[in-house]
Amino acid sequence: MNSTVKEYTYYPGCSVRTTAKHYEESLLRVFDALGLKLYELEDWNCCGATLCSSVSRLTSYALSARNLSRAERQGRDLVAPCSACYLALNKTKDYLAHDEEVRQKVGRALAAVGLKYTGGVRVRHPLEVIITDVGLEEIKKRVKRPLEGFKVASYYGCQTTRPYKEFDDPFYPETLDKLMAALGAEVVDWSLKTRCCGGSVTGLVEEVGLRLNYILLNEAHKRGANVIATTCPLCQFNLDCYQSKIIKRYDLGFSVPVVFFTQLLGLALGMSEKELGFARVMVPMQPLLRSLIGGEPIRA
Amino acid sequence: MPETNGAPKIGVYVCHCGVNIAAKVNVSEVVEFAQKLPFVTVAREYKFMCSDPGQELIQQDLREGKVNRVVVASCSPLMHEATFRRATAEGGQNPFFFQMANIREHVSWVTEDERDATEKAKALIAAAVRRVAVHQPLERKRVPVHPHVLVVGAGIAGIEAALKIADAGKKVYLVEREPTIGGHMAKFDKTFPTLDCAACILTPKMTQVRAHPNIELLTYSEVESVEPYDLRNFKVRIRRKARYVNEDTCTGCGLCADVCPVTVPSEFDEGLGTRKAIYRPFPQAVPNVFTISRRGTPPCQAACSIHQNAQGYITLIAQGKFKEALEVILRDNPLPSICGRICTHPCTLNCTRATVDEPLNIPGLKRFVTDLFPDYKLPQPKANRSERIAIVGSGPAGLMCAYELRQRGYWPTIYEAQPVPGGMLALGIPAFRLPRDVITKEINRLKEIGIEIKTNTPLGKAITLEQLRKHYAAVFIGIGAHVERKLKIPGEDLPNVWGGIEFLRRVNLEGPFKLGEKVLVIGGGNSAIDAARTALRCGAKEVTIVYRRTRAEMPADPKEIAAAEEEGVTMIFLAAPKTILGSKETGVTGLECLRMKLGAPDASGRPAPEPIPGSEFVLSCDAIIATIGQVPDIASLGEQLGIETTKWGTFKVDGVTLETNVPGVFAGGDCVTGPDVVVNAMYAGKKAAISIDRYLNKLDMRAGRELEGPYRTEYAIDTSGTPVQKQIPMPAIELGRRRTFDEVHTGYTQELAIAEAKRCLDCAICCDCRLCSTVCEPKAINYEMKDKIEEIVVGAIILATGFKTFDPRRAPYTGYGRYDNVLTALEFERMVNSAGPTGGKILLKNGKEPKSIGIIHCVGSRDKRFNPYCSRVCCMYSLKFAHLVKERTKAEVYNFYIDLRAFGKGYEEFYNRVLSEGARLIRGNIGEVTDVALSPEEEGKLIIRVEDTLAGVVRRIPVDMVILATGLEPQADAEEVRRKFSISCSKEGWFLERHPKLAPVSTFTDGVFIAGTCQGPKDIPDAVAQAGAAAAEALALIDRGFVELEPNTAFIQEELCSGCKTCIPLCPFNAISFTSEKGIAVINEALCKGCGTCVAACPSGAAQQHLFTDEQIYEEIEGVLSYV
Repeated sequence: MNSTVKEYTYYPGCSVRTTAKHYEESLLRVFDALGLKLYELEDWNCCGATLCSSVSRLTSYALSARNLSRAERQGRDLVAPCSACYLALNKTKDYLAHDEEVRQKVGRALAAVGLKYTGGVRVRHPLEVIITDVGLEEIKKRVKRPLEGFKVASYYGCQTTRPYKEFDDPFYPETLDKLMAALGAEVVDWSLKTRCCGGSVTGLVEEVGLRLNYILLNEAHKRGANVIATTCPLCQFNLDCYQSKIIKRYDLGFSVPVVFFTQLLGLALGMSEKELGFARVMVPMQPLLRSLIGGEPIRA
Repeated sequence: MPETNGAPKIGVYVCHCGVNIAAKVNVSEVVEFAQKLPFVTVAREYKFMCSDPGQELIQQDLREGKVNRVVVASCSPLMHEATFRRATAEGGQNPFFFQMANIREHVSWVTEDERDATEKAKALIAAAVRRVAVHQPLERKRVPVHPHVLVVGAGIAGIEAALKIADAGKKVYLVEREPTIGGHMAKFDKTFPTLDCAACILTPKMTQVRAHPNIELLTYSEVESVEPYDLRNFKVRIRRKARYVNEDTCTGCGLCADVCPVTVPSEFDEGLGTRKAIYRPFPQAVPNVFTISRRGTPPCQAACSIHQNAQGYITLIAQGKFKEALEVILRDNPLPSICGRICTHPCTLNCTRATVDEPLNIPGLKRFVTDLFPDYKLPQPKANRSERIAIVGSGPAGLMCAYELRQRGYWPTIYEAQPVPGGMLALGIPAFRLPRDVITKEINRLKEIGIEIKTNTPLGKAITLEQLRKHYAAVFIGIGAHVERKLKIPGEDLPNVWGGIEFLRRVNLEGPFKLGEKVLVIGGGNSAIDAARTALRCGAKEVTIVYRRTRAEMPADPKEIAAAEEEGVTMIFLAAPKTILGSKETGVTGLECLRMKLGAPDASGRPAPEPIPGSEFVLSCDAIIATIGQVPDIASLGEQLGIETTKWGTFKVDGVTLETNVPGVFAGGDCVTGPDVVVNAMYAGKKAAISIDRYLNKLDMRAGRELEGPYRTEYAIDTSGTPVQKQIPMPAIELGRRRTFDEVHTGYTQELAIAEAKRCLDCAICCDCRLCSTVCEPKAINYEMKDKIEEIVVGAIILATGFKTFDPRRAPYTGYGRYDNVLTALEFERMVNSAGPTGGKILLKNGKEPKSIGIIHCVGSRDKRFNPYCSRVCCMYSLKFAHLVKERTKAEVYNFYIDLRAFGKGYEEFYNRVLSEGARLIRGNIGEVTDVALSPEEEGKLIIRVEDTLAGVVRRIPVDMVILATGLEPQADAEEVRRKFSISCSKEGWFLERHPKLAPVSTFTDGVFIAGTCQGPKDIPDAVAQAGAAAAEALALIDRGFVELEPNTAFIQEELCSGCKTCIPLCPFNAISFTSEKGIAVINEALCKGCGTCVAACPSGAAQQHLFTDEQIYEEIEGVLSYV
C-alpha cells in the first residue's frame, strides 16, 4: 500500500448508530489505523432499506438518489457499511442507469430540491475497500495479534454480494474468508455464507425467523466455528439477539458469539476489546477472548 | 476510357420476392418510375426474379438487344448477386454490367410504412441505374488451387474429413495439438442413443488414419501461422512440439512409463486417474508413442549456481530409488556430502512449496542419499588428454575446477598452502556441522579419479606463477579470502582477542583449547554463530553474541541461529563495540559497547544502525571473538605475480570467462568475489573449467554461456488445493551431547527422507532423472529435442478444432470443487468407461457405490450468467448416464431438467426407454447443491434444492453423487485460431459459417471450411455429417483445380500518383510497394483483398478500386440524391 491516505465519503446509515454501534466503533478505528480516511456525508437520509421499496419503489430510489447526489458533490467513493444501505444505493444506481422512467421521475424529484445525480458515484463496501485499497499482504504485515485459535465462520448475508456481485461471488464469496485467514484465524468452510437470516421477518414472523437463524447457528457450530463474523447489521442482530430464544426453542446446547468482521480485524491489528465494542455483543465474546488470547482483558 | 458495350441500355427488374417485398413496396409503381429513368429501356417486375423464369426474362432482353446493362432490385447481394451476374453473362454481356438494389433487407423488411418503403425502393433503384451506366467490363482471374488439404483438429470430425479426402486420392495433412488423435470422443464410454461403445466405433477409424498412405499425421503439433502462398493457396507453418521421444522409433512398449518416478493427474482421465511424466494418453492412442511432459528447468535447479538437479533426486528419493538418486546428484556435483550439510541452499529460496507452507529441505535430502552410500565413487572421466592444469587453492572453487577439468580428460594438480586440503571447508567450518572425515572422503574420491593435491605449497613462496605457467597448460587460482577485517577499536591487540577465522582455524587444525569462561562474539553472520557454538564446545560457560542490528537483520541462517540459542548462546542486539577493556597483564576484562538504533536503509537494503550518544555500557568477559568478515587482500600477491587486482583487493577477471590479464591464468571464488558461499565458489570453479577447456581447444570462450549461474524460471505453478504439510525437521543429537564436536544433525531416516521428498510439487513435471532412457531399447528418448517448424502448402483448409466443456467452478452453486462427489459429465464419462480410472465402476470418493445420483442439466448452458445457448448434447448424454447408472448400480437416479430436448433420430425412443428403466425426471432449474443437512435423512448427503415446476413446490433431494451436465464452449484459444485463419466468430466464439442454412461448412474466407463442434455444439452424428460436407466442399475446390477471383482489387492511376506513400503503411495485407524508378506506388493484385483503405486514404485520388471507382460511387450518390 502506498503511504498516502485514501479518502472516502462515509454513509453510516441508521443501524450503525442504533443496534450496531459496535460496527461503527470498530470500523472507524480500523479504517483510521489502515490510513483510510472517512468524511461523513452531510445531511444524509434513510436508505429506505427493504421496507420502503416494498411499499413504493420509486420513493426508495428517490431516497437513495438524494444520498448519491449529495455524495457526488464530494467527488469521492461512497463507503456504506450496512448491507441494506449498500444494496439500496447500488440498486438505485442500477435503475437510474438502465430504467429511463425511473431516471426521469427521480431526476424531477431531485430537481425539486435543487439536486441532480449524473451517475458518478462508486458505492463501496468497507470489506472490499480493505481488500482492494489496502490488500491482504499489507494487512498480514500489520497484524500484531494473530487470531490464533479463532475458528471463524464468515457470514456475508444476502445483500452484500447479491444480486450485485460487485466484488465477490454471489453464492460462495471468499473475500471475508481470505481476510480472516490473513489475520491468522482458522477459516471454517461452510455453505451458508449468503443464506437468509430472515431479515426483518424475524421480528415480524418470529417462528420463521428463528428457524432460519437456527439453521445458520447449527451449521456454523457443526463445522467447528467458535465465532461468526458478519458484514451486516441485521444479520448480526438476528443471530446475536435472538440466540438465547433459539437455544431454548431448539434445545441447542451451545452458543456462538456473532461479531462484525471489523471487530476481529481491529483485534488482530492490536486494538483493545473495549475500543472495538465487544461488550455490546449479546452472546458474550469475552469467554472466547479470555480462553484464546489470555486471562486479562485485551488492551491496546 | 476502356472499351464499353456502346450506349447504355438499362433493364430494371423488380422482384416481389413473394410477399417479402411486394407486401410493403408498391412494385408496379416502382416499375413505372424506373421506366422513366435515363438510359432505361426496359423495366419489369416478377414474383421471383431468382427463379429460372425470372432469370430467363433478363437473358431474353439481353439476347434480343433490348438491354445491355442490368439492374435487379431484390434481396441482398450476399444472397443473389452471383446468380444475376451469371444470368447477365449467359445473356451475352460481361457479368459486371450488373448492379443490384437491395429492396428487401434494406427496405421492405425494415420499413413500416408502405409509402416510405416504395419511395425508398425508388431511390435505391435510381442509384443503381446511374451506377450501372458507368460500369465497365471486368475479367475474373483464374487461379490454380493446390491439391493438398490441411485438416486442423483430429477429433471425430477431423478424422472423418481427413479420411474422406484421403480416400478420394488427395493428400491430407492432419494436425492435432494433443499427443494422440481421437479428441473428446475417445474419452466417452457409450454413445447415445444406440449405446455403441465409443472406442469400438472410433478406434478403427483412428488406426485407418495412421495407416492411410494419403494422410500425413502431425500430432503434438499446432498451426503457427497461415499466410497466402499465392493468389489462392495457403502457406502454413506448423509447430511440431518436442515430444522428447522419437515418433519413428518408439514402439510404445511402455517400459519407460513403468520406471518414470513422476506421477501427475491424467488429463485424459479428467484428473480422476494419474499418469507418468512420460506417457501415452491411453493404450489405443494414435500414434502409439510416448511423450514427455517437460516444463523446463525446475526453479530449484535454476536457482542453484551449479544447477544441481534437485527435483530429479528428490523425486527418486520419494520413490525409494536411492541409488538412482545418487547418480543424479553426482551428475552435477562432486562434493554432495559437503553441500548436503553446509550449502546455503539458494534452491530452497525459489522452491515453489514455500508458497504453500515451507520449502523442501533440499540439502538434507541430498545428504541423506550420500550418507546412505558412504563409499560411493565419482564417475570416471570419459576422456583422457595429455594437458596438465595447475590449480592453486583446494577450497571448493579449486576442487570443483579440478573435477570438471578431470571429467574433460585433463590432469589437474592442486597446490594448497595449508597442511590440509579443503580451504575454508576445512579451516573455517566447525566439525559439528561438517565432520572432518566427510571432507577427507570427498577429497579422496577426487584423488581416486586422478586429481593430485600438494599441500604446504603456497603460491609465491614455495612455487612461482612462472613455474606453473611453464609446466602446465593453464592455471586456475582459487585461493580464497582469509584475511580478517579488524574492529579498528582500542584494545584489539590485547591477548585473548581473536578473529573468528583465526579462532576456528586453530580449533580445526589443532583441536579445541580453553578460550575463557565468558566469551563475547561480535558479528551476526554464519561465522559468528559457528564461532559462538565452537566456543561453547571449547568449554566456555557463557557465550554471548553482540550484534549492532536486530535479529531480523542477521545474515546468519535462521536455523543456525536457533540451534545456537538452543545450545545456550545468548544474544545482545543493537549494541556496537567501542573499546575492548583490559590490559596486557589481565588480558581482556570486558567490552564497552554503544547502544544503537535502526535508521534509514543503507546500501545493503538493511536499516543502518546509528549510535545513541551517551549510551555506553560494559559487558564483562575474558575472551572476545570478532567475526566481522574477511577480505582476500591479495594486492601484494597480485603485484608479485603480475596479476591485476581491483581496489577491493581482489583479482580482476573477465566476468564471463574468469580470465586474468595473464594469458592462460584464470581466477575465481572468494579471491575474486570476496567472501561468498560454497556453492558460488564451486560455480566459479566450474566456470573456469569450461573456459580453460575452450581456451585449450581454441574455441570461442564467450558463446552460449548466458544460462550459467543462477536464474529464475518464468513459468508459474498452480499450487491451489495443495494441503499444508510443513518441512520435516531433521533429527539432531540431544542437547546434552552438544558440548562435543559430534555432528549435530544426524540426518533423515529413510522414512523421513521419503516423506520429505514426497512434499515436492514436481514443478517441471519431468524431473530429468533419465531413468526412461536407460530402459528404452530402441533408444527413442532424446532430451535434447527442440520444437521444429514445418512448412506446407495447401489449397484448402478444414478446421475441426472442437470445443471445451464449461468449467463449473464458475458456477459455485453447483458445489463443484468444494464437495467430493460432484462430478462433471466428462469426469463421469471417464469413471464409467471400462478403461477408465475405476475400471468402469461407479464409485464415490470413499470407494463405496452410491445409493442415489442427481444429474443436473444445463450447467453453464441456457443461463444468461454463463452461456445463453443450448449445448444440444447434454439432455441426451444425461439420459445415457441415467441408463448407465441403472445398468451398473442399484442407485436411484434423478435428472433435473429445464426442457428435455430429444430431437434426433431414435432420441425420443431412447428417452422413453430410460424412463421405463426407472430414472426419475424432475423439471426445474436447481437452486443449489449443498451439504447442509436439515434432517437426519440428509446427513452426509449432498442435497439438491430445486423448484419442481410441475408440482409447484420447492424440494430438497438428498443424493450421494451429483453429475453436472456441463455445456459446450468454444475452445479457449478460438479467438486466436480465428485470427490465424482469417475467419469470423459468432459472439459466443463459435466459428461462423458462410450461411446458416445454405453454406453451413463454408466460411467467408474462400478455401477455409469448418466442421464439427468448432462451429457450434452438436452431437457425433451431426459432427460426422458436417465433416463429410466439409470434405466434399474441399474436394470440389481442389478437384476443379482453379478458382475465379472477384475483380474488386485496387489499382493506381500512374499519372495521378505523386508518390507520397501514404497508402503503403495503411494496407493491412502489405500489398502496396513503392517503385523508385517511377516514383509511384504499385499494388500487388495477388495480395490485394479489396478493402479500399488505400482508395480512401489517397490524397490525389490516384488509388482506385474496380467495382468501386469514384465515378461509380458518385453516380450512385447522385442517383439517390436526385430522387430525394
